[in-house]
Amino acid sequence: MNSSVIRLLLQRFSLRHARLAPRASCLLVGILALGVAVFVAIRLANRAAVSSFTHFTDTLTGQSDLIVQAPSGTLPESVLWELRAALGARPVHIVPVIEATAARAQAPGEAAGFGRTTYTLLGVDLLALANLASQSPLPHGYFDQPQDTGGRGVRGDQAGAGDFWRAYTAGPQVWVSPAFAPTRPESLDLVIDERVRTLRIAGVIPTAKDAPRVPATLLVLDLPHLQQLTGKTGRVDRVEFLVEPGPRAPERRSELQTLLEQLGRDRWIVTTPGERRESAETMTRAFRLNLTILSLIALLVGLYLIFQALDGAVVRRRTEIAILRSLGVEARAIQLAWLAEAAVLGLCGGALGVGLGWLGAQGAVRAVGQTVNALYYATTLEAAGLAPGEFGLGLALGLGASLLAGWWPARLAARTPPAQVLPRGAPPAAGGRWQQSFALGAGAVVLGIVLAQLPPLRLGGGGRFPLAGYAAAFFWIFGGGLMCGWLLPLLAKLARALGAAWTPVRIALSHLRRPSGRHRLSVAALHCAVGMAAGMAILVASFELTVRGWIVRSLQADLYIASAGAQSASTDNFISAVAADRIAAHPAVAAAARFTAYPLSLDGIPTLFTGTDLALMHARSDLPWVTPPRDLALWDVTRNAGLALVSEAFTERFGKKRGDILRVPTPAGVQTLTIAGIFADYGNERGSIMVDRVHLRAWMGDDRVTNVSLWLKPGVDADGVRSELLGEFPGLAIFTNVKLRAEVLRIFRQTFAITYALEVIAVLVAVVGLALTLTSVLLDRREELTTLRALGFTRRELAGAAALEGGVVAAAAVAGGLVLSVALGWLLIYVINKQSFGWTLGFAVPWGQLAALAGAVVATGVVVSYFVGRWGADLPADREE
Amino acid sequence: MTMTMKIILKEIGVRRVRRSCCEMIELGAGARARSQFVSFLRSVVAAVGLMGSIWAQIPLMTTDGFAVPQAGKIFSFPRDHGSHPEFKIEWWYVTGHVFTAGAGSRRFGFQATFFRQAAPDHTTQLQLAHMAIIDVSTGKFLHQERLNRAGWDAMAKTETLDVRQGNWSLRLSDPAAPAGAERFELQGGVQAEAALTLTLVPAKPLVVFGENGVSRKGAAPTAASHYLTFPRLRAEGRLTLGTQQLAVRGEAWMDHEISSSQLDANQVGWDWAGVQFHDGRELMLYQLRTREGGVDPASSLTWVAADGTTSQKKFTWEVLDTWKSLATGAVYPARVALATTDPMTGAAVRYTFEPLASDQELKGRLGGIAYWEGACRVRDATGRDVGSAYMEFTGYAAELKL
Repeated sequence: MNSSVIRLLLQRFSLRHARLAPRASCLLVGILALGVAVFVAIRLANRAAVSSFTHFTDTLTGQSDLIVQAPSGTLPESVLWELRAALGARPVHIVPVIEATAARAQAPGEAAGFGRTTYTLLGVDLLALANLASQSPLPHGYFDQPQDTGGRGVRGDQAGAGDFWRAYTAGPQVWVSPAFAPTRPESLDLVIDERVRTLRIAGVIPTAKDAPRVPATLLVLDLPHLQQLTGKTGRVDRVEFLVEPGPRAPERRSELQTLLEQLGRDRWIVTTPGERRESAETMTRAFRLNLTILSLIALLVGLYLIFQALDGAVVRRRTEIAILRSLGVEARAIQLAWLAEAAVLGLCGGALGVGLGWLGAQGAVRAVGQTVNALYYATTLEAAGLAPGEFGLGLALGLGASLLAGWWPARLAARTPPAQVLPRGAPPAAGGRWQQSFALGAGAVVLGIVLAQLPPLRLGGGGRFPLAGYAAAFFWIFGGGLMCGWLLPLLAKLARALGAAWTPVRIALSHLRRPSGRHRLSVAALHCAVGMAAGMAILVASFELTVRGWIVRSLQADLYIASAGAQSASTDNFISAVAADRIAAHPAVAAAARFTAYPLSLDGIPTLFTGTDLALMHARSDLPWVTPPRDLALWDVTRNAGLALVSEAFTERFGKKRGDILRVPTPAGVQTLTIAGIFADYGNERGSIMVDRVHLRAWMGDDRVTNVSLWLKPGVDADGVRSELLGEFPGLAIFTNVKLRAEVLRIFRQTFAITYALEVIAVLVAVVGLALTLTSVLLDRREELTTLRALGFTRRELAGAAALEGGVVAAAAVAGGLVLSVALGWLLIYVINKQSFGWTLGFAVPWGQLAALAGAVVATGVVVSYFVGRWGADLPADREE
Repeated sequence: MTMTMKIILKEIGVRRVRRSCCEMIELGAGARARSQFVSFLRSVVAAVGLMGSIWAQIPLMTTDGFAVPQAGKIFSFPRDHGSHPEFKIEWWYVTGHVFTAGAGSRRFGFQATFFRQAAPDHTTQLQLAHMAIIDVSTGKFLHQERLNRAGWDAMAKTETLDVRQGNWSLRLSDPAAPAGAERFELQGGVQAEAALTLTLVPAKPLVVFGENGVSRKGAAPTAASHYLTFPRLRAEGRLTLGTQQLAVRGEAWMDHEISSSQLDANQVGWDWAGVQFHDGRELMLYQLRTREGGVDPASSLTWVAADGTTSQKKFTWEVLDTWKSLATGAVYPARVALATTDPMTGAAVRYTFEPLASDQELKGRLGGIAYWEGACRVRDATGRDVGSAYMEFTGYAAELKL
């Protein structure tokens, strides 16, 4: 074998083929491209969502070396004196930081809801910032910025000094990103906690040329101002340390770390900005992995289709190959030529896919970002850019898929005997025996069942990934695909019993009684797509049913009040105790339950520490229990100091159960808590610990609340009370019961939007694949078709036969797919979802949706097949491909 | 930030101006003066000044509400080593020369300055600090500036001397030490390049400049300060350069001045020198340069005798060489000749000041205002090394407009 032979083969054989059947080749490239595109889009969107997590302080100070942060809540400012004293002569910059979020104030008349711009407010000592070496190339500082109006140059120094002091002693003011707006307004209305604050825009955040870009939503304030605005006077959120560069810097850094750790004990946690970024990544890792897996479905379906398209081509061109063989072309050269053809398809598909994927990512990044925002932390969405590595990955994926799918057909081609011995009219080989093996399918299904029992893979930072669960899904899809080919003869018999009087029916069914490999493959591909889509529908329906039930049980108050500054999972806006008391004292209020939540780092894993009025909650609305408490002391504030409830997600994340002991670090020391019960919470997957608010308030030294639920006196109009309260506190977001339930469901559905999109693409690919299959089948049968035409069958009759054939294939796939979907639904709910997020869901089958999906797939199959049949009826017997 | 620095640096200028006035008054009030006539004239000037101040009713407050130094102030220590936030401006200023022990002794100069300034609206205090270390053997000059609001990372205690700025501090070893038993601890450094830890023990008693505890600055009734100086302290401690640790000892000079007045904007800069002679005496001089290019008549030279008594002499100041800073473009005096009278012998003496390194310029990174403050060797007319000095040249950098 030499390369010239292969080149000749490619030119005279493969290329000619592509020229003669351009549509089929284009379709294949398109399918591959779609598969690759979905994967690339999700990958880009994932990366954009993660990379947009910013350690905001870096943009001001350069990279900090170490960060000290309380495990929960804030640190008292007194630690700064202590830290400076403890550091002695060590040349280290200590930078206390307050970080808060605030939303733009809602315009008058704007409905309460989520999704307004959220700003990150960073409070650092803006005077001390100038002491950092990283600040030296700045043209000016914060307090002596060139004003838009005025002639500094003509003013004397005294006037200049006056400017400094005016700027320095001015009230709360913000500095904005250069990217904030093309023209800066005079001031900005922000909702911080329950108040709307009008903050003067003092200028632009001064940055060095090579500093990281300042995000458009970053607002910088002088530390004391932000402390005052957020009610954290005398407290800091974290303390960052910058070791002065110079001799022995790495040793000094690690010395400092040891010192800080020894000094901190239970009071604080010492981390680095890298670790913070990493923890943000691990927080979303399970979510991103799940999306990545889902994004591979379309490619998996595509794999079936490419396999069968290439296989069909091999079968149809058997004669041709046999002639080549008899001319002395080696089997290996033929195999290589086929593989080369597959590779070209793969590369084209891959390249096109990367482009499509980039386009898709622009939309997907929004959806992924919304979910990350709703569930995890604030992201500043960045455009999903394409890295060279990702282009390569897309190409490799396309190439890999096409070579994998082309391997068997190429081998089949190579095994074609020379023309002299090729039995004319012999039944096409049509795939391998393995794919007809019912036993193999059953084996795969059993293997899947075993895999479904395995525990998840533990990721760092409390994340879990259900690897075995996904493997089980793969084996079920594969095994189910093999097995549901056996549905074809059964369905054929059934159809024959129903309508065998009409000849086209008999013709169609005759093909299905002994289904070709091509039919089986088509069934398998469609079965895979339908199964996944329906399985996901079952998951979402179950989820929605459960969440609805949960909402009904846990949202029973008449009004829900939070700061309008709270716009996502990560925002930490509070309502001051004074405002909460005023709200509770409203004459229409029968009872008011206050709820407070703080992020908590427990053994290095982020979770939430929450407090509520347990007695009131017990009396007014029961929690949705997973494991109800047995100890009645829980409801008595005088006896429940050592008791805690935890959410189900918490138990999964930390491996705890009722009766276990938790050691929770608080500003008032470590609290030892016994888990008294476990409740369901679908609001956050980090899990939460709930204690009586009285104790939490004492431990955290903070009397602010996150939200207030109000039960109104009978006969009071909730909307009226809402308007009254809004009039008094324009910075509050107040939801009526109905509105909040709707809003929760809306956010819930929004998080599944991208999942739906991925499923729809997979089904589309599979339906296109069905058309491709029938085309291929009819091409195989063109002699028969010509004969039938000669016998007087009309085009309509032949098209009808094809439609029936396609319809039965689709029906078989749908039947198998529905069975698969129930299995996958079970797997997703009880294994994958439970392992990833720690949520137990009820099982609900959305019959209507499934029926619609089944009907749509079968109908589309029939229609597509009908038109393919019409086209096939006109095929010339000797049409060369 | 720039403006803050300018304000404070102007006050550094005030420091020298005040010195000129207080020295004159002190002399006129009956210190040892050789010339009877001059002494008589000065007594008249002082008496008129004193009466004038009584008639003018020196206010208790400046117009912006800060305290004005009042005559008859009785200092009590350690309290008055500490901060006086009722006054607008205050600083603690340490310069010195230290050596390593043994053969091949290495020589270093250092400057450690802590400033405090109140905001015009009295709401807050700003703390500024400068550190500089010169390695004479290599000529390598390290310096750093810091600016902070008063608080956890920068502060000045009121009850005793304890001023801090990040990891820099100057404080009494024993916070309750009575007058005459002071020891000071200075902890300073420059980034991570150098660290300096010194114990300073006064070798001579505190000098309180001025008349009746107040040194007057000019015609304005509020223009006055309380001005306390230890002209010679024994310094001993450790200097870390990079990874190298050195035991050092030597001598230091420490000023503490408290005031609320603003600088008259007629000077463009000043030259100042503080000399510690090997014979146990000190000399301090300053020359104020006017906008017109002349020398302000307030310029003055003061001897401090071995027993701490002071006397003023006329002097001439001649720049022999200049040095141009590559960093700021400013041209500073380098070698300077001083001609004056020795109060002990009454003889004319001539000294030459030789900077131990050319580049001892504080580049003004934070404030954008550069000045030269450096360690010098002092030689007499025969070329003999007779003392060490610190010299200060301000207003030479192009951007300084005072």
